[in-house]
Amino acid sequence: MSQPDPTPSGVADAGLQEEVERLHAEMEEARPPHAGPISQAAAALVALVVGVLAATGSYALGLGRLTQPGPGLWPFAISVVIVVLSVVLLVTGRRLEDTERFSKSSLLTAVALVTLVALAALLPVIGFEIPSLLLTFVWLRWLGKESWRSSIVISIGAVAAFYVIFVLLLQIPLPRLI
Amino acid sequence: MDISPILNGFGVVLEPTNLLYCLVGVIIGMLIGVLPGLGPGATIAILLPITYGIDPVSAIIMLAGIFYGAQYGGTITSVLLRLPGEASSVVTVFDGFALARQGRAGTALGIAAIGSFVGGTVSIIGLTVLAPVVAGFALDFGPPEYAALGILGVLLVSAIGNGNRLKAVIAACVGLLIATVGRDTFTGAERFTFDSLNLAEGIDFIPIAMGLFGLSEILYNIEERHNQVHSPAKVGNVWPSRKDLGQAKGAIGRGSLIGFLLGVLPGGGAVLSSLAAYAVEKRRAKQPERFGRGAVEGVAAPETANNAAATSSFIPLLTLGIPANATMALIFGALLIQGIQPGPQLVTEHPDVFWGVINSMYIGNILLLIMSIPMVGVFVRILRVRPAILAPITVLITLLGAYTVRNQVYDIFLVIGFGVLGYLMKKFGFEPGPLVLAFVLGSMIESSARQSLLIFGGDPAGFLTRPISGTVLAVVVIVAAWPLIRKALPRKKPAAVPGDSDRVEEKTP
Amino acid sequence: MTILVGYLPTPEGEAAVEAGLREGALRGERVIIVNSPRRGAPVDEHMVGEAARDELLRRAKEAGVEAEVRQPLHDDDLPETFDRLVEETGASLIVIGLRHRSLVGKFVLGSAAQRILMEAEVPVLTVKAAR
Repeated sequence: MSQPDPTPSGVADAGLQEEVERLHAEMEEARPPHAGPISQAAAALVALVVGVLAATGSYALGLGRLTQPGPGLWPFAISVVIVVLSVVLLVTGRRLEDTERFSKSSLLTAVALVTLVALAALLPVIGFEIPSLLLTFVWLRWLGKESWRSSIVISIGAVAAFYVIFVLLLQIPLPRLI
Repeated sequence: MDISPILNGFGVVLEPTNLLYCLVGVIIGMLIGVLPGLGPGATIAILLPITYGIDPVSAIIMLAGIFYGAQYGGTITSVLLRLPGEASSVVTVFDGFALARQGRAGTALGIAAIGSFVGGTVSIIGLTVLAPVVAGFALDFGPPEYAALGILGVLLVSAIGNGNRLKAVIAACVGLLIATVGRDTFTGAERFTFDSLNLAEGIDFIPIAMGLFGLSEILYNIEERHNQVHSPAKVGNVWPSRKDLGQAKGAIGRGSLIGFLLGVLPGGGAVLSSLAAYAVEKRRAKQPERFGRGAVEGVAAPETANNAAATSSFIPLLTLGIPANATMALIFGALLIQGIQPGPQLVTEHPDVFWGVINSMYIGNILLLIMSIPMVGVFVRILRVRPAILAPITVLITLLGAYTVRNQVYDIFLVIGFGVLGYLMKKFGFEPGPLVLAFVLGSMIESSARQSLLIFGGDPAGFLTRPISGTVLAVVVIVAAWPLIRKALPRKKPAAVPGDSDRVEEKTP
Repeated sequence: MTILVGYLPTPEGEAAVEAGLREGALRGERVIIVNSPRRGAPVDEHMVGEAARDELLRRAKEAGVEAEVRQPLHDDDLPETFDRLVEETGASLIVIGLRHRSLVGKFVLGSAAQRILMEAEVPVLTVKAAR
């Protein structure tokens, strides 16, 4: 089998690269608009804070010596890398366009998060059935904009199916009401 | 070479239960892979708890099945909807979608299935021959080599993945940091536990993977991204004609080889190889202008290559214990959960697992071929299901699944926490992949590095004087400094490629 | 003035288009053929492709009616989608196809046609599929 160029340099076909980038750009269009320099700075700052906190935390654990590394040496080394890189990001990353603006529909994600936490909190108290039912219903009706009728039918059906599969067939010890 | 463990491996795989697991894996993988939004990584992550209860070989066989199925599912959406499920099927879109618009979607899908099968099989044969050799070579590796290899693996995955490299490396470092939470094995000191008993045991791999890959993807998709609706496409005849096969033959052969070779590289082997295979075919073609307008080779080459690469990326995982990409990191994590440490010892200590995994790929590939060609119509129908209906069901599987692993609500909260982290990371342009990979390798890198320091009597120069670790670290430096090097080099002007510009202007409604 | 025609690739939908075009020719009005897919799923079987759109326009031309095809997405609010179109285009009439449904079918699936009938602010002409 003759092969002209199976090495990675064969990838450096500029036209192809362009095509791929164009396709990516097109898929990006479906994303909300990018969020601009402030969010970039915020992201870098959060990373920086994480780095600094981790560095102080691991310093407190004790670095030890290279002959006898302490528990904090390795995390300290990583934290220093994080700090350095986030400073570089803070300085050079202002014009990146890979962050996403939070929009009205981000509220949906917040609602979803509430239902998740509620499920986790209620699970040990009242079993999995009612919280699961509520979660599916909220997701269908308000996050998925399904009709009342199909939301009710599908959520009851789904929870019943879970009950049959998890509890009756697989006999997994889920906390449950019935 | 002693052939009996290989045959025993086939014995393991051909047990009816394992065949069933493989079949179930392929089906689930295809079902979920067809849905936009959830790629192979998310699918495997969500289903990790299932593998917890079954024995290691079956678990890995099933995961490998899911992996194959999900990849082919992504191909279906690339061809029909112009929505690549994964970066490695992006190039498939060009000619696959063009074929679909000519009413030849079936041909494209059939060629893709055959190409994947051939590529996968060639790659598995290569794997069968090569893996024990590499493992034997790696048996001499000591802690310094492992530390260096681990760092190289993390860095390459961060550098080659999509998105900003700086952010990727930061994410990877956070992953390394999370891996240090809990009791330090050397000194017994508690690190970053904040006096929490739960944290003292360290953070488990399952909630991290489920949160960052699974739940974050679902939360991210809630903000309606797929707003295009397509009219149902005619798939047509799935069996490619003799003429199509003749045209694709060369592309499949070359794609298998390219995929196998590039897949071994850590980082986006599958992505790179699909691009390379496409580029090679286009350059070899007598009429390169056919590409992008429905050339069968344009589907065959990348699909063959990405499957071959996905298979050969098991080599570094099984022989060195270094996952080559985020999906391999998940399989690595699944093996660790089963108490199996992938690495050079695997082939001698757990030959049943080693050969079971490799041979399950033969079976997985055959099942994929058997499933995909007659069943394409069924999978295409799944595209009519609204993701909004499946999302809550997926969420329930994720949360309740996380609970069942240890019967602790704490694990559900962890999944939610990492889900939110992953969602925010995506919003701010950080990829979760490098974080998960770094987390998986974190404790291995740390303990190898510390053991090495003990071996060297505290002199870090020891890393550089050992030939293998020195070479690996040199590569690490080159990869890390690559953007600077490239800036310093004079840039060649890219040549424009004619005949490719007419594809983008019109979308199907 | 304009006429809105609700169209799905079903016998009822074809009947609606036929009636709508006839009405358009009679009144000398523009016809907007509405083929609205449900938002969410990547593929909707009720959505028509390019070829079918061209065919609809060809039929309109044959009938001597000025026509266009619109494909707005709808959620669980098809009547509202029609309302919006009425407002936007100043349509004077909506033409839709009706299908016979059993009681159970009505309960499970509801009836978008019935809701349009009840909620639309302009006259609605309903037609049945040719037998």
